[in-house]
Amino acid sequence: MHIPDGFLDMDIALAYYVLSAIVIGICIYKIKKDGIDEKRVPIAGLVAAGIFAAQMLNWPIPGGTSAHFVGGAVAAIILGPFLGCIAMVSVVSIQALVFGDGGITALGTNLFSMAIVDVFVAYYIYKFLSKKNTKIAAFVAGWIGITLGAINTGIATGLSSTFQYSISTTVPVMGIWHGALGIIEGLITVAVISYIEKNRGDILYISDKAKNKSRGEKR
Amino acid sequence: MNFKDFVIEHKQAFLVILVAIILSPLFALAADAVGYSEPLEKSAEHLGAEESPIYGGILPDYSVPGIDSPIGTFLAGLVGSIVTLIIMLGVTMAIKGRRN
Repeated sequence: MHIPDGFLDMDIALAYYVLSAIVIGICIYKIKKDGIDEKRVPIAGLVAAGIFAAQMLNWPIPGGTSAHFVGGAVAAIILGPFLGCIAMVSVVSIQALVFGDGGITALGTNLFSMAIVDVFVAYYIYKFLSKKNTKIAAFVAGWIGITLGAINTGIATGLSSTFQYSISTTVPVMGIWHGALGIIEGLITVAVISYIEKNRGDILYISDKAKNKSRGEKR
Repeated sequence: MNFKDFVIEHKQAFLVILVAIILSPLFALAADAVGYSEPLEKSAEHLGAEESPIYGGILPDYSVPGIDSPIGTFLAGLVGSIVTLIIMLGVTMAIKGRRN
């Protein structure tokens, strides 16, 4: 899922940098406008650090084609879409800048897949489905979030000359493989979110937001 | 809030992160053993696309140059998690600002 340098045409890479910068700017604006409770600052840091650590665990699937946890849905459900996006931006940027995982030229594209598409898709799926069943909602959010993130990676590479402009190959390859592997992402997302719901349900974004509203806008 | 209170209040989260970091060298060895490769790499191989790295990073590929890989992976995971924690705390506080 992390695109290295050399895979993308420069105009594609640049376009994604601009797109990601705009969305990140909107997120910062929204977070400032809504305000952050003091108590949520450490949670934001820990969610980002936890996602970084979890991404180090490559799933060793025999046969070769595999993946690792990405975590956009976990970030979105705990922190909400805006702060969740910023958490994923921190993780993906550190991976590129410190560990050389994901190219520098491809950073805008990788942020768009993992910090924007994955996070926002997962958040709105969770928001919609959690009215019925929070477990199913978390599973589908993790699964579909990652699959659409991967499809964006397929689009970006498939539009580039190094991939022979073969978007008709890259999108199905990314979509089908990550669609299958994404079931594991969904299962991990349910496990994490159910655990938090049971023990510290108050820290989840949706319940935190509801609580603030019911207190009659405390800020 | 000082650092000690922060760790105590969130000890479960710290524990989960620590366990993931400790397990990461095992996962790295297992991934090597099964020839871990992601769908993007498959599709690049199929279409003949090649990486042209321009920057390897400070700790390339989650390893510490000069240190054996399992220990290097562990240290890279530890450093990465701490850096991510500090950066995200800093970024969140910066966005939050002083307004209360």
